Amino acid sequence: MGLDESSLAMNRRGFLRTGAGAVLAGAFGTGVLSTVAGCGSDGGASKVSSAADVTLPTTIPYQGPKPDIAATADGVPAAFYTYPKPERAFPTPPLKNEKITAITNVFGPPPPGRSKNPAWQEIEKRLGAQVDITSVSSADYETKLNTVIAGGKLPDIMLYDGAGINNLPRFLQSACADLTPLLGGDRAKDFPHLAMIPKTVWETCTQAGKLYLLPIPRNIVGGSGFYNSTLFGKVGVTDTSAIRNADDFLGVLKELTRPKQNQWALGSTNFGTTPFHHIFGSPNNWTLDGGKLVKNYETDEYKATLEFLVELHRAGCFVPGSEGWTKQQMQNGFAAGKVAMIYDGLPAYAGPTGYFRTLPQTHQGNEAKPFLPFGHDGGKPVTWQDNIAFGWIMLAKADEKRLRTVLKACDFLASPFGTAEYLLLNYGVEGADYKLDPKGNPTLTAQGNQDTLVPWKFLSAPSQVVYDPTRPRGTTSTSCTARTRR
Amino acid sequence: MAGSSARPVWMEKPSALGTGGKVAVLAVISVLVLYPFVSVLATSLSTEADISRHGGLVLIPDHPTLAAYRTIFAGGVVTDALLRSILITAVGTFCSVAATVGMAYGLSRRNVVGGRFFLLVALFTMLFSPGVIPNFLVVKQLGLLDTYASLVLPTLVSAFNLVVLRSFFMTLPSELYEAARIDGAGDFRVLARIVLPLSKGVLAVVTLFYAVGYWNAFFNAMLYVNDDKWPLSMVLRQFVLQGQSLSDTVTGSEAAAPAQAIQMAVVIVSLVPILLVYPFLQRYFTKGVLTGAIKG
Repeated sequence: MGLDESSLAMNRRGFLRTGAGAVLAGAFGTGVLSTVAGCGSDGGASKVSSAADVTLPTTIPYQGPKPDIAATADGVPAAFYTYPKPERAFPTPPLKNEKITAITNVFGPPPPGRSKNPAWQEIEKRLGAQVDITSVSSADYETKLNTVIAGGKLPDIMLYDGAGINNLPRFLQSACADLTPLLGGDRAKDFPHLAMIPKTVWETCTQAGKLYLLPIPRNIVGGSGFYNSTLFGKVGVTDTSAIRNADDFLGVLKELTRPKQNQWALGSTNFGTTPFHHIFGSPNNWTLDGGKLVKNYETDEYKATLEFLVELHRAGCFVPGSEGWTKQQMQNGFAAGKVAMIYDGLPAYAGPTGYFRTLPQTHQGNEAKPFLPFGHDGGKPVTWQDNIAFGWIMLAKADEKRLRTVLKACDFLASPFGTAEYLLLNYGVEGADYKLDPKGNPTLTAQGNQDTLVPWKFLSAPSQVVYDPTRPRGTTSTSCTARTRR
Repeated sequence: MAGSSARPVWMEKPSALGTGGKVAVLAVISVLVLYPFVSVLATSLSTEADISRHGGLVLIPDHPTLAAYRTIFAGGVVTDALLRSILITAVGTFCSVAATVGMAYGLSRRNVVGGRFFLLVALFTMLFSPGVIPNFLVVKQLGLLDTYASLVLPTLVSAFNLVVLRSFFMTLPSELYEAARIDGAGDFRVLARIVLPLSKGVLAVVTLFYAVGYWNAFFNAMLYVNDDKWPLSMVLRQFVLQGQSLSDTVTGSEAAAPAQAIQMAVVIVSLVPILLVYPFLQRYFTKGVLTGAIKG
């Protein structure tokens, strides 16, 4: 589809508005920013559009296999020890002889092309469409996407990963499809897998007062980092949520700091002080206080967190000089047992390079566990809904028939955990790309490691569950009693 | 003694202390140069445990492994990209050298109609780059998107190399041209039989410049072609940028190679071909460039 260039033209006032929008974007988070930045078009009376006006898709919960650990209302996802018996969600291909184009991120090297990739071929066969994907690394994505936009011929599916698009609301209005008429309310039933995505996730998809985006959902809660349970155990802590208050925690961290043994409680704060904010109850970026938006910096909880961190610094609990560490150095420090705690997102726990595996590999006898926060004053801590979506999908403007075709493809790619399609999209073709162990868990073959690099999961995706086939019983229940804040 | 004392001090036989000092200084410089290479090579051969134990800076791996290289070369993506890179570099270098030689020869002759204009047009590109999007639009409108030609044509002639060659051609004695003309040689014959054989040094340098340029180029590949046509430089860039993610994508039961080892292995893989070529061409470097630049 071509771009309406005149609609992208910008005068000086428009430019200033964009700048203001960009500033607010950083401040408010995606859902709200677009609404503000998109208000007031050229001429005419300004009307502030609101995300509250948007009819979001009606969520129809997944009636799939029973999880080993049930999901919670607060957003903790369901967990599975083994892969359920896969059921076909699409007995016949949802499309027929269609061609779909897409641009997205790729993580890792480029995958083998269609002709050498049985998984790619099977996915297209079961989808009923040829999918031509242009993919570059996230570091190059902004340049590539903006160049393609400037070229005027947009692919059907475009990932928006936060890449800088000049005047995003206006770009969406002029070049992307408003999905509200197709997905708003009960109309989402036509795309049942997209309809399974929770409302919390859809709320991040509104821009300029309309539903312009499809989400790539994440686990909603990003967690509070990880700790070396072996080192904590040596100072008498077996469960971090049982620590009584901040003073006790200070004592624990001081005990963990043993410079003569090349061991400190903490490393650089460059990679997040989130666990401490959870302990002291800081809001997640903004909070509503009597109807008034208050920035986290302004709150007493934030100040208390900073004071505690300063106290830890004075007590020598941080590795000297670690403020200049790279993320890799921080991870090395934790894996080597040099630091006892690290902040990283929950997805960094599982998998072959997850902390639960790298710590025992590099520091024998040690074990990593997710840090469960406690209240600094003996009360309840908080956790944040800070991992709601990896990114969003924009669909190029087209007629309704074409949009339905593309949405059907997205619905196929959002096939949930437990379906045969999910297995195909994530693990490829049985035999060539993965083998099932006696319990039904897929193990990728060498070829599977390559074939599954095709970034299907960055074109559309279902809600996530906790499942790690490399350690089926390793998924840990983290029944958290914290208050969850957006 | 009078004769001896008249000699400048640097012509005297060096003392043992002086020689020892020079050796020490050179040894330190050599260590400074070699140290990163050794560290990169050692890290590429290390396990996760080795890297963590040494704080990310390994000099001698305790448990050497080729896991990182196996990861890189698995699936044939790197080997395919290697072949593509060789092809693009060979074809691109040949086309670029041919075009540059032709243009430089034409612009080195006096009284060529429009010669000055075309020279200025070429020089203009040294001062003002057209920018990413105008370049993309030109490539798109020429129908070159997702073709190998898009990796060669936009960078076919480098103004710098053109100037170097033109300057060199202008230094050749005009008598040679006149003699060839009297013998009935046309421009193509003069170029092929007289000019090029006298320009081997500068041609080697320009060829090397182009070859290294094509070998290292990734930006055009990122913009113009899809990943099934990516050259090695772009594929390796993915490894470097996404090393951690790459390790995460390996979801089999086998432990993945550590991200840092993969990144360092990538550096080694990209260095080797250039390291193999450089020693044979480096001697032409200074000579060729200085000849073109100074005598021009």
